[in-house]
Amino acid sequence: MSFIFNTDFFFSILRITAPIIFATLAAVISEKGGISNIGLEGTMMMSALFGSLFSYYSGSWIMGVLAAILTGMIVSVVMAFFSFNLETDIILSGTAVNLIGGGGTIFLVRIITGLTEGTQMTSTNSLISGKLQVPNIHIPIIKNIPVLGDILSGHSLLTYTAFLLVYLVWILLYKTPLGLKIRSVGENPDAAKSVGVSVIKMQYTVMILAGALSGLGGAYMSMSYARGFSQDMVAGRGFIALAAQAMGGGEPLGSMLSALVFGTAQALAVKASAIGVDSNLVSPIPYVVTIIGLTIFALNARKKEKVTNKEIKNTMEVIE
Amino acid sequence: MSKRNSLLFNVVRSLAAIAIALIVATFLVFFSSTSTGFLEKLADTAEALEALLVRPFIKANGTFNSKAFLDVLASMIPIMFTGLATTVMFSANQFNLGSEGGIMLGAFIAALSAIYLPLPTIILPIVSILLGSLAAMLVLLIPATLKAKLNISEMVNSLMLNYIIMYLINFVLTSYVADRSKGQLVTHQIQKHAALPQLVGGGSKLSVGFIIGLIAVILVTIFMYRTRWGYNIRMIGKNQEFARYSGINVAFYIILAQAIGGILAGMGGAVEMLGRYNAYDWKALPGYGWTGITVAILANNNPAFVPFAAFFMSFLGKGTELMSTYSNVPNQLLNIIQAIIFLFFAANNFLSRYRQRLVVKSAEEEMASELGGK
Amino acid sequence: MSEQLAIEMIDVTKIYPNGVVANRDVNFRVKKGEIHALMGENGAGKSTLMKILFGMEKPTHGEIYVNGDLVDLSSPHDAISKGVGMVHQHFMLVPSLTVAENIVLGMVPRKKGVFIDFKEAIKITQDYSRKYNLPVDPFAKVADIPVGMKQKVEILKALVRGAEILILDEPTAVLTTQETRELFIELKNLKEKGFTIIFISHKLNEIMEITDRMTILKDGKSVGIYETKDSTPESISRAMVGRDVVLGIEKEKSNPTDTILKVRNLNYVNAWNKQMLKNVSFSLRKGEILGVAGVEGNGQKELVDALFNFIEVDSGEIEFKGESILNLSQGQLRSRNISLVPEDRMLFGIAANASVKENIISDRSHYPKYNKGPLFNMSEINKDVNQLVDDFLINCSSLEQNVGMLSGGNIQKVVVAREFSSNPELIIADQPTRGIDVGATEFIRSKLIELSRSGAGVLLISADLNEVMELSDSLIIMSGGEIVAYFEDTKGLEDDEMGRFMLGIDRQEDSKIQEVCYE
Repeated sequence: MSFIFNTDFFFSILRITAPIIFATLAAVISEKGGISNIGLEGTMMMSALFGSLFSYYSGSWIMGVLAAILTGMIVSVVMAFFSFNLETDIILSGTAVNLIGGGGTIFLVRIITGLTEGTQMTSTNSLISGKLQVPNIHIPIIKNIPVLGDILSGHSLLTYTAFLLVYLVWILLYKTPLGLKIRSVGENPDAAKSVGVSVIKMQYTVMILAGALSGLGGAYMSMSYARGFSQDMVAGRGFIALAAQAMGGGEPLGSMLSALVFGTAQALAVKASAIGVDSNLVSPIPYVVTIIGLTIFALNARKKEKVTNKEIKNTMEVIE
Repeated sequence: MSKRNSLLFNVVRSLAAIAIALIVATFLVFFSSTSTGFLEKLADTAEALEALLVRPFIKANGTFNSKAFLDVLASMIPIMFTGLATTVMFSANQFNLGSEGGIMLGAFIAALSAIYLPLPTIILPIVSILLGSLAAMLVLLIPATLKAKLNISEMVNSLMLNYIIMYLINFVLTSYVADRSKGQLVTHQIQKHAALPQLVGGGSKLSVGFIIGLIAVILVTIFMYRTRWGYNIRMIGKNQEFARYSGINVAFYIILAQAIGGILAGMGGAVEMLGRYNAYDWKALPGYGWTGITVAILANNNPAFVPFAAFFMSFLGKGTELMSTYSNVPNQLLNIIQAIIFLFFAANNFLSRYRQRLVVKSAEEEMASELGGK
Repeated sequence: MSEQLAIEMIDVTKIYPNGVVANRDVNFRVKKGEIHALMGENGAGKSTLMKILFGMEKPTHGEIYVNGDLVDLSSPHDAISKGVGMVHQHFMLVPSLTVAENIVLGMVPRKKGVFIDFKEAIKITQDYSRKYNLPVDPFAKVADIPVGMKQKVEILKALVRGAEILILDEPTAVLTTQETRELFIELKNLKEKGFTIIFISHKLNEIMEITDRMTILKDGKSVGIYETKDSTPESISRAMVGRDVVLGIEKEKSNPTDTILKVRNLNYVNAWNKQMLKNVSFSLRKGEILGVAGVEGNGQKELVDALFNFIEVDSGEIEFKGESILNLSQGQLRSRNISLVPEDRMLFGIAANASVKENIISDRSHYPKYNKGPLFNMSEINKDVNQLVDDFLINCSSLEQNVGMLSGGNIQKVVVAREFSSNPELIIADQPTRGIDVGATEFIRSKLIELSRSGAGVLLISADLNEVMELSDSLIIMSGGEIVAYFEDTKGLEDDEMGRFMLGIDRQEDSKIQEVCYE
């Protein structure tokens, strides 16, 4: 048991969950604004590539991260334009973003690396050196605490950023005027309009924020989790984010916890193959959990509704 | 708007979408050219575009490119099935994205059946296809039922299931059915008599599956437009409240539409497996589901147009493949072109001013004919 | 005018792009500091006039003066900046936000420029709440508060934005009696503080109680301004309800036979705790048209919804031909030959982007005669649909034309072509001729008469007084969720009399009302 659940394992959970959290927060904000944003996957892919490339060409990881964020925002603005101005169904524009993200990134990498055919993993690995990656931080004092120190210290800067952002997104949504506007547009656009809030402006704002967060997620993948961009590296995290958001009730904290569930399952999968258990048995767990979770959630909501109606009627009878 | 003007609008719109996609593609091709100098790049671009648009039909020496053409037809097969599956589900307004997992499962189950079941010729492939279709249907029933009974998003659930299917297939593959003698992960060979006969000799891989696909197109079209079940599915998609008020059992049809989607996706996988492969080796989701969505959109959710849309996508696929062979342009260009086309296709407001003009024109025409008639 | 006018709307006309004239040269004047009622039946033009005043619509011509200044109101924002606030009938609130957050939305006080200053928001809420005596809980989530408080929040929203003139659109429609009493106290209080209040309502008793003056609209025109203290319910109802034209619909006398629909003691409390149906009991006989008259919002909609299983009543019985049809599905109701012409034809009656043919057969795709095995029998279907299109004078270019392209009248003819051709024994017709042209209207009315004379039972719900009085053989009037009057014969029924019942002034004896049960 201790062979599995050692500090390395818990360290890896945090490391694996971090990029999922970025995407999940993007999903949370989108949903709060009333937008079903399924284009996170493609956005992350493009951000991962451009971030890593930019860090190579500029020689600085900071520029790379900024480029990734910018990429995410631009992609989201384009998606917003098609969805809100040209009235393409948002699900379809999200799917288009994923297609362009998947194909476009490989296209670009192949041109850059000169490979056009073959099934070799397309990647920019060869271009990236250590100092172009986001640095890891060894937190003084904490790193010396036994057990906890090994788990919490030494993570990439972006890992800490991810968890910090959970708190920041919560503050944005619940403690700032912008958050109020976003939630009102998502819940009752007519109410928002009646007090002068521009619905379409809010929708664009939401998409840009989601894009920036996805950008950070992409940056994490290519500049911290792995070295440079490679084909299929985002591996569905953009979709897992949607599931985490759904399971977490659409709230930042709950969604983070759901993301941790996914991260744990993935970490288990890695461990499992190390001890000979097929990782393919462990990997589906978070997806199954999502479906079950959503079902329980819906059954509960239905039961509550029936009870409330009954209560109202009972009270009325008493009054009469 | 009159029917003729409506048709005119759709044609113009389609061509505009395709034109935009091709213009973007041209820029990308230009950008990807490895030559120096503007003129050389231009020449490269021209060559690449030729490979994209012309080569699938006509070889460099001017003769008909029969091999490429047969390849185009062959690669139509899986996306015709996923396209059909998607049109049925989208017609009921169900955004079930599970044809991706469905086709993979259908292929896997059909392969297993074709490897292990001791059945004679003709029976074996038929049974395999049926089993593959059934398996996919059962799986897609899950998001369907959860949507019908509890109103849970079929989109999220179907996306989840795609991954569950992928992992479980890989599990069974690695643990039980892999052929240990082979270097990579693959099952044993399917029995020879399970393979679908080829339509054309010479290793083109254009199997009878193509015919099965066309038959499916005909059957689905008839189903959607000439039977009461298809009609009810479409009415629910057009206005669910109206359908309910008219006495249509909405929950039943929400499930039915997705079940049919499952059957078609599974069938596509089975047919593709038995028509093109000797053994099963798909480890990742094949991507046919996403292309199926593009096909459905290009076909305007009308099953009768699916073969044309599938042909178009397949042709583009072959074109980009040839382009990557001859001009060093990565074939991922296909995804980009695909996405742009369907973005504009599905944009309701695209060219809306033009549509407005046509509406006015139609009204004027109507008034003129009424006056003239008097 | 010696007193200052808060609002003056002069010769306001509004013609919509589809040709409907909603307001015709309306003159509307509200004195500062008064409570002024805007009355009229549905379709009279009240909502449009107020939408214009609140900047949600622009008048085709006319002038608007607020506090003596000529204004051009292009958006609610403009109206608010001129001191006009509106409390909509359907609340514009965000459920998961608190009361205070809803009130300051769009003008949120900030702390350090970035954060919401909750303390300030609460303070603003409490200050206004106390000052104007509108008690609300600033910390509560709007989703959790009762309807009465929601309305107070809406009023506060307007006040906080500097409204001096408040427009209240049917404010008591969703309130219980207790909440209405509270509202009136608050309004009187606001009036004392100098606010001007425009009160849109049908409820005569309320208007008599709280308003100073009233303007009555009919068919888009203003038919008079009255001092409340000089008016009697009778005089008002005459002005509001009196008809200029008598239609003179010809029909042979009905000969009703057995009871086909038995409704007993229906009770229904809606999601906002308001009792919309109170012991509603009546019977409908074969061969007659029973009209259900009344000002909209008095339970008629809920009655129709209950009959056709859109809602589940709390108690009561509905029997059709002796069999209980409570909670049967709409498909099951149809198979028992019950048809409904719905009030909202675009939402329920048709699928706008489906063809005429597809819309007509939506209730009968399973009929054996239309199916040959698994396939449709297209020739049978086409034959019948063509016949229906002819019989019902539907003007369309072909059976394949999208229904949404047709005019309102033709759309309704598609609906009735379907609903009247399924051999219905019971037809529920809810506002069947609203918003459609004269030709289609006459046609549909004559069809209803024809069907009833052939033995069907027709339940006609209509807010159009002409229609419900002249088309019906017998009539019940609903007010406050109850049946308050029953007339076995509509002949000789006076407008005044109708008005008094509709506006809640009079009520028949229970024994007389009971007669509609034919027991």
